Amino acid sequence: MRFRMRSYFNRLVVTSFTPKEGHSVLLLCNHFSWWDGLWGNYLAYWHLDRKLYIMMQEDHLRKRMLLNLFGGFSIDRTSREMIKSLQYAANLLNDSEKLVVVFPQGQLISNHTTEIVVEKGIERLIKNIKGPCQIVYSCALIDYFESLKPSVFFHLYDCGLAGELSFDELTAKINGFHQQALKDQINVAH
Amino acid sequence: MIYPKKNRLFKWMVHTYVHWLTTRQFKEINFNAVEVDNSRSVLLIANHFSVWDTIILFRVNRKLLKKKFHVMMLESTALKEPFLKYAGGFSINKKTRDMVNSLDFAAKLLSDPNNLVLIFPQGKLYSNLITEVEFEKGIIQVIKKAAGNLQLIFAATFMENFDNLKPVANVHLVSVTDNNFNTISDLQQAYQQHYTNSRQQQIQIVK
Repeated sequence: MRFRMRSYFNRLVVTSFTPKEGHSVLLLCNHFSWWDGLWGNYLAYWHLDRKLYIMMQEDHLRKRMLLNLFGGFSIDRTSREMIKSLQYAANLLNDSEKLVVVFPQGQLISNHTTEIVVEKGIERLIKNIKGPCQIVYSCALIDYFESLKPSVFFHLYDCGLAGELSFDELTAKINGFHQQALKDQINVAH
Repeated sequence: MIYPKKNRLFKWMVHTYVHWLTTRQFKEINFNAVEVDNSRSVLLIANHFSVWDTIILFRVNRKLLKKKFHVMMLESTALKEPFLKYAGGFSINKKTRDMVNSLDFAAKLLSDPNNLVLIFPQGKLYSNLITEVEFEKGIIQVIKKAAGNLQLIFAATFMENFDNLKPVANVHLVSVTDNNFNTISDLQQAYQQHYTNSRQQQIQIVK
């Protein structure tokens, strides 16, 4: 995985971030490309030091069942099975060694978007987490600058602990952080 | 100043290389059609976010605009990549009086209706995610000197990935009918409007 990342990208720049000890991590990421899941894996292994689980759309996972062996589990937003998936994710987050990647937008949206629409399911997911869990927002942005290869800039932000903030507060924080990341990106060193 | 050089072999090599590179690196390069006036040259104004933007617009010219491609670039880049002069590259050094020669040369190129000159008025590389563009003032001299001979086209390029490993480049083109810009802020404002509209279209793409 690291080889694939290193060969395809010019730079993978991650803002300095240390997860809270003894807490699982709910990693909420912006979703604009096929790479997002692989980046989740990269962040979990190299930067956040947790075991990766990743929530994927059921049709996407069925096409690539290999990802099932690497922590991928499905969600089908059109059926009642969705509640089971959210409960499964919440249960995983009761273990402080685990990290669950969720794309709160629920679909692929342009990397140029300025607003992150958080799906309602996240509210249920957060409510069901019983153990200590830190919610982290990861805003990945792609730029090229002088290189033919793209560079990815990961802006990581601490949104707070599950159970301590409401869904509306979380949505507002994510959007505030996203705007901040876009501002920071303009001045990024290259 | 470094002037463009003509060499049929190099020209063929550049075209072949660009074709190979873009088909290998991109899933697709999308652009909208604009009407090209054959009796006038084209001044193409674009956002500058990577080395790809020149390559992408080189392809767009080859497929749509079909003019002789020229691009204004920083002297430091022209010295580092000497083969670019065979692809129509000519240099500008913003720190010396030689800059006037470069702007005059661009205006002279635009007096020939077969030519296209690509200029990045931002003057340096910015993120592809910026919402506001800022122009340096040199370009207004080119437009004033070549007034009446040129068709002004704005290009706003955005890169996306979506469900592919390879990126997709979306180039939003618009031909500007009234190009009597007196000040750089008028030109910047007109480009900004096109850039913002293009960005809005880009954001609305959902997969």
